Amino acid sequence: MSAPVDLADGADGADGGDGAPPASADKIAIRGLSIRYGGPPVVADVSLSIPESSIHAWIGPAGSGKTSILRTINLLSIEVDHAQVEGQILLDGEDLLTTKLERAAVRRRVGMVFATPQPLPGSIHANLVYGPRISGVREKGKLDALVESSLRAAQLWDEVKDRLGTSALALSGGQQQRLCIARTIALGPEVILLDEPCSGLDPISTLKIEEMMTSLKDRFTWVIVTNNTKQAARVSDRTAFFLLGEMVEEGPTSGIFTAPRDPRTGDYIEGRFG
Amino acid sequence: MSAAVRLFSPRRTQIVARVVLWSMMAVTLLLLLFIVLFVLRRGLPHVTWTFLTSPPADSGREGGVLPMLVGTLAVTALGVAAATPLGLGTAIYLTEYTQEGRATRLIRFGADSLAGVPSIIFGLFGFVFFVITLGLGWSILAGGMTLAFMILPTIIRTSEEAIKSVPAGYREVSLSLGASKWETITKVVLPAALPGILTGVILGVGRSISETAAVIFTAGSSLSQLVPTSIFDGTRTLSVHFYQLAREGISSDKAYATATVLVVAILVINVTAYALMNRFMRRYR
Repeated sequence: MSAPVDLADGADGADGGDGAPPASADKIAIRGLSIRYGGPPVVADVSLSIPESSIHAWIGPAGSGKTSILRTINLLSIEVDHAQVEGQILLDGEDLLTTKLERAAVRRRVGMVFATPQPLPGSIHANLVYGPRISGVREKGKLDALVESSLRAAQLWDEVKDRLGTSALALSGGQQQRLCIARTIALGPEVILLDEPCSGLDPISTLKIEEMMTSLKDRFTWVIVTNNTKQAARVSDRTAFFLLGEMVEEGPTSGIFTAPRDPRTGDYIEGRFG
Repeated sequence: MSAAVRLFSPRRTQIVARVVLWSMMAVTLLLLLFIVLFVLRRGLPHVTWTFLTSPPADSGREGGVLPMLVGTLAVTALGVAAATPLGLGTAIYLTEYTQEGRATRLIRFGADSLAGVPSIIFGLFGFVFFVITLGLGWSILAGGMTLAFMILPTIIRTSEEAIKSVPAGYREVSLSLGASKWETITKVVLPAALPGILTGVILGVGRSISETAAVIFTAGSSLSQLVPTSIFDGTRTLSVHFYQLAREGISSDKAYATATVLVVAILVINVTAYALMNRFMRRYR
């Protein structure tokens, strides 16, 4: 709620931080992250750890900086939105903001799914092989196998296996979003970032996506931004609550939802604001 | 006030709007049809196979238009072939590689202004620069390059609009799937923008093929018996030929026949281009 604090290095621990666990256990560790778009910071000094093979939910009202952080992990905010970023984002201990790795290589390891299902024009098959082809997979057999395994993982295979050559734009909204998730899975990522993936979907499609996340928890580390606090409670292992660019608190989901430490968290979860 | 409201109820307004808009459309269509039919009715009876395949004779009173037909197609092809990559490259740079600012506004303003410059000015420039300074003489090359300059603004602006209208989500998705910016442009943005880009190119073809003033100074107007075989040969394009035949009162039959060939050529090129595009888009969607 307070005005954005000075961003200069020094003060390391964000308020509400619960003493970050050792960096080695974390898939992603965010340290003192601040993001600006030419003006005042929209994300101020956020530190956060995301354990491997877990589902991490980020909740908070619109404009609290969740999507900005997600887009920064994927390096999209820097390339597309021209964001100015300070701090560190460690993926397996390597800082993505200063790494010599190519952006494309980072994005293959940290896949992203957007709020609006956005199939590329072309067939279902073409959508799925787009990423793998660019990364150099040419063999038809390999690509076909990848298409099937990704679609199965996203629980879409049975619905589309007989029409892989038809336009992806003809699918329903829920199918399109699962296609987008399958397309990200086809990259072989370690982390999948979901930006309000169910905001435009019906309850059944939402349920399918939640089931899929839970079933694939061993394979990927998930970060899901959601405006639906019930969804966070249903699927996630840990939850972080954001407000006005600040991370108010983070912890095991059961704890956040039953005994939040910060009164603002409780107010938000119970729908008293936001 | 209330009386007026009752007089034009929403239902009645709707009907009036529909009738007025329909009539406007009909007038436009009729005007176009009238012009085309006017030319075809006078020209078509004189367009024969011999007319298409033989050189002119007796200053154009006899014979055909083969050298002009070839010359026109060559000049147009050269102009479009030079302007398309240049214009497309500029459009890609303006939309994808710079942020909106003073420089892009200046380039855009320049292109818009250039699009409004009368073609005879381009002809004069082409004459001084290509024909005289570069020593190309009256040639297909000089004519083609002049046309390229003339249609460049159109191609830049239409390509730019087409590229801009590709949803930003496509770019983000492509980047997030590990494509570089260049891969995103070539594999996603340009295919999606193709119909718009092609519209610009077709406009360019139409302007080039029917251009008179810009080519009369640069490709020449000599009435050659020979079909041009090199881009350094001069040529008289169909529109220049038509202009000479009509203005000198040489032969109105041959003039209208020439005009008919020109109109049909434009039609054929446009239909072919759109058919090719449709075929491509069907595969792409």
